[in-house]
Amino acid sequence: MAQSMTAERATFTGAEERSIQLRNVTKQFDDVTALNDINIDFAPQKINVLLGLSGSGKSTLLRHINGLHKPTSGEVVTLGTEVHRAGAGKLRKLRREVGMIFQHFHLVESMSVLENVCTGKLGSLAGPRLGLFMYPREVKEQAMEQLARVGLADKAFQRADALSGGQMQRVAIARALIQEPKVLLADEPVAALDPVSSATVMNLIGNIAKEDNLTVVCSLHQVEVALEFSDRIIGLRGGQLVMDRDSHSLSLKEAHEIYNAVAVVTEEEIQEQAPELAGIAGEQHS
Amino acid sequence: MATLRPEAAEAPRSTSGRRPVPKRPTPSIHVIAVWGIFLTLIAGGVWSMFDLGINLFDVLVNIISGWDWITENLFPPQFPEAARLVELILTTLGIVFLATLFSVITSVPIAIFAAVNTTTGAISRQTARIIIIFCRAAPDLVFAIILIRVFGPANGALIGIVAMGLSSIGMVGKLLADNIEDVDRGPSEAIRAAGGARWQWIQSTVILQIMPQIVAHGLHRMDINLRNSVLLGFVGVPGLGQALSNAMNTRQWDLVMGYTIVITVLCILMELLSGAIRTQMMGRDSGGRRRGVLGLLERIAQNSWVHAPTDPHTAQRTPKGRVRVAPQWDAGRIQRFFGWAALITLAFLAIYDVELNWEVLMNTLGNFPDVVSRFFPPDDHGHYASRYFPALVETLQIAMASLLLGLFVALPIGAFAARNAAPTKNIATFFRCLIVACRAFPELVLAIVLVVILGFDATAGVIALAFGSIGLLAKLVADSLEESDTRVQDAVRAGGADRVQTFFSATVRQTAPATVAHILYQLDVNFRAATLLGVLGLGIGFDLLQASARSRYEILSLLIINILVVVIILELISMYVRKVVR
Repeated sequence: MAQSMTAERATFTGAEERSIQLRNVTKQFDDVTALNDINIDFAPQKINVLLGLSGSGKSTLLRHINGLHKPTSGEVVTLGTEVHRAGAGKLRKLRREVGMIFQHFHLVESMSVLENVCTGKLGSLAGPRLGLFMYPREVKEQAMEQLARVGLADKAFQRADALSGGQMQRVAIARALIQEPKVLLADEPVAALDPVSSATVMNLIGNIAKEDNLTVVCSLHQVEVALEFSDRIIGLRGGQLVMDRDSHSLSLKEAHEIYNAVAVVTEEEIQEQAPELAGIAGEQHS
Repeated sequence: MATLRPEAAEAPRSTSGRRPVPKRPTPSIHVIAVWGIFLTLIAGGVWSMFDLGINLFDVLVNIISGWDWITENLFPPQFPEAARLVELILTTLGIVFLATLFSVITSVPIAIFAAVNTTTGAISRQTARIIIIFCRAAPDLVFAIILIRVFGPANGALIGIVAMGLSSIGMVGKLLADNIEDVDRGPSEAIRAAGGARWQWIQSTVILQIMPQIVAHGLHRMDINLRNSVLLGFVGVPGLGQALSNAMNTRQWDLVMGYTIVITVLCILMELLSGAIRTQMMGRDSGGRRRGVLGLLERIAQNSWVHAPTDPHTAQRTPKGRVRVAPQWDAGRIQRFFGWAALITLAFLAIYDVELNWEVLMNTLGNFPDVVSRFFPPDDHGHYASRYFPALVETLQIAMASLLLGLFVALPIGAFAARNAAPTKNIATFFRCLIVACRAFPELVLAIVLVVILGFDATAGVIALAFGSIGLLAKLVADSLEESDTRVQDAVRAGGADRVQTFFSATVRQTAPATVAHILYQLDVNFRAATLLGVLGLGIGFDLLQASARSRYEILSLLIINILVVVIILELISMYVRKVVR
């Protein structure tokens, strides 16, 4: 169902090709299956939300798109690059076009805000940079431009740890935007933020996606935020795709059904997930 | 799902019957082994005291009976003329500074390869770790003696810089590798996700994040190197140490006393300076009103040439109309700029001052393999059992005896210096100051003074190293006491225990494992320092010097291997103990 729907939309918008395709992707961490036979396509210039609890595989899926994780089996094609078999050089090239932001912002706290933004451009520069003075003026001007865009131009020369959480995430967005990406990956961008900062950050991501025609893949765990902000909602649970809906046609009632589908644990699942625990508990008492 | 697990595990428990009271588990073999090691150490210390014939009462008698000689010959201390003194101080500082700089610059890449999150692979990681372990194991004197043979005895400055630099890599490299492994890995992932290559993300995130630690370890090591440089003066490293050694050889005791005072003052000043720089580095931008010269500068800057940006949506422009992409010259930037400028200037001045002989360095690097090959195979010429092994034992005895002596004094001092164990805050402060004073005083210099007073005897070495042990051990013990969980102490006190009871049953018990680990670490430190005492005619260090002076490479390598084996065994024991008592 998912495939036919995205294919349809791709032709409708007339985009050149599908931005991201995952085929039969399975990821195994030791004996934990993080992703189980995932098939999904992401159409260009759409905001896609991955919905699920922690441990459902959202972050792992995101990290497959830019090759931070490689699938145990299956294929990942991002912007025409075969991520599953790409070497270091090809991956670097791809990652220049894929921006990413994180739950905990991942800024270097002892670095100035401006230099943090400049580090986003490292993928296009050769060799390490020992400080702000080693970046070309052009890069620094681009960084200032992006900081102005996220409304933090006045903080450019402060240390990153002098900022609030919402401001840090906006700096991280500027760092992703300086790459001039085609795809923006967002891993729980507002999970560490208060509601007001969350709204600011989500609106910023939405506006920028529209202005820059970005394909956004964003993982979230709040249904309300997902519903308000996305074009499409994909539900993940225990590493499996459990739902895939166009969110514009979604009513609130259906949204709660979605929530039930991804977030509420059923009796059967407790039986299914916890037999080894029950076994251990039994042994202790025998 | 995860939240449901405890309940799932809980459910069957309520239905099962009462569990029998479990038996007290028999102590594990490892705990017994650690007790064994600890008791052996104490016994070894007592045996060493007797075997070396150390009698503190005799020492006192000697000092009292020789008091006239001491006052006559050592006092008043003589100082060389001012110009010469300044020259010596600058040479010593130059060598120590360059050695530290060399070690820090070399340690950073080694630590990157040794740390699990930045290494390139298993082989490079193990290689880096072996280099660190080797540099840690070999005392400065060993490096110096090998380097005398490599560079030739005339190039003292080079020998000092490389010897202290290499042995510093062991400590600095290890600490930095630990720091790198503790670094927040998020930013590295972000740079990788943006297409950054390995050296880009390592430089921009890892090295930048450990910068304060790099400076802190460098400063700490500079203190240690300054102390060690004094004894390296005895093997030809120029500066205060060499002048001191010349004064000793010519029996100008009042001049020896003068140099001792100069070195001690220098050590204390260095300690104060590095403390000040460290505090400055650690302080983050608090946003409050800054005090001192920098604060004044900041206020002047803000009212004149610095105009803080105000518009969040437009980039600030310079007066010429370009986008401003560098911070303005506010107090912070001025400080950073002058900090780096001072470091680079100092490095050049130091290179100029110690008159590094580049030609020798380049030439000798070529015949380095040739010199190294002469060290093999090791040979004892039949003197191992009669001469070298007893010397090794004597060195170990000096280490153990000084540890035992130091321990008895350090434990109470440490207890009184801990704020949560001392009867009053003032007592704690007093003992803290005592520890700081004790640590600031270079114990190897004390050894020289004691040798002058007591003669060339193990007693001088033991007392000096015991003094050093007091400083370090008391500090470590006090720190771990202060880190102990005060809630346990409150609980015991709430049950009606008095101060002494609380201390022994709540505080000491918590701190015991850390203390045992500190004691073994101190043994390690003392053994290395004891080899350095060879320059004063004691233990295996003396044989090392003798063999070096007579160019007996095969004996040198045998002795070096012996020292390394002992150090590595001590290291392994202390690693094992730390693992068990944790």
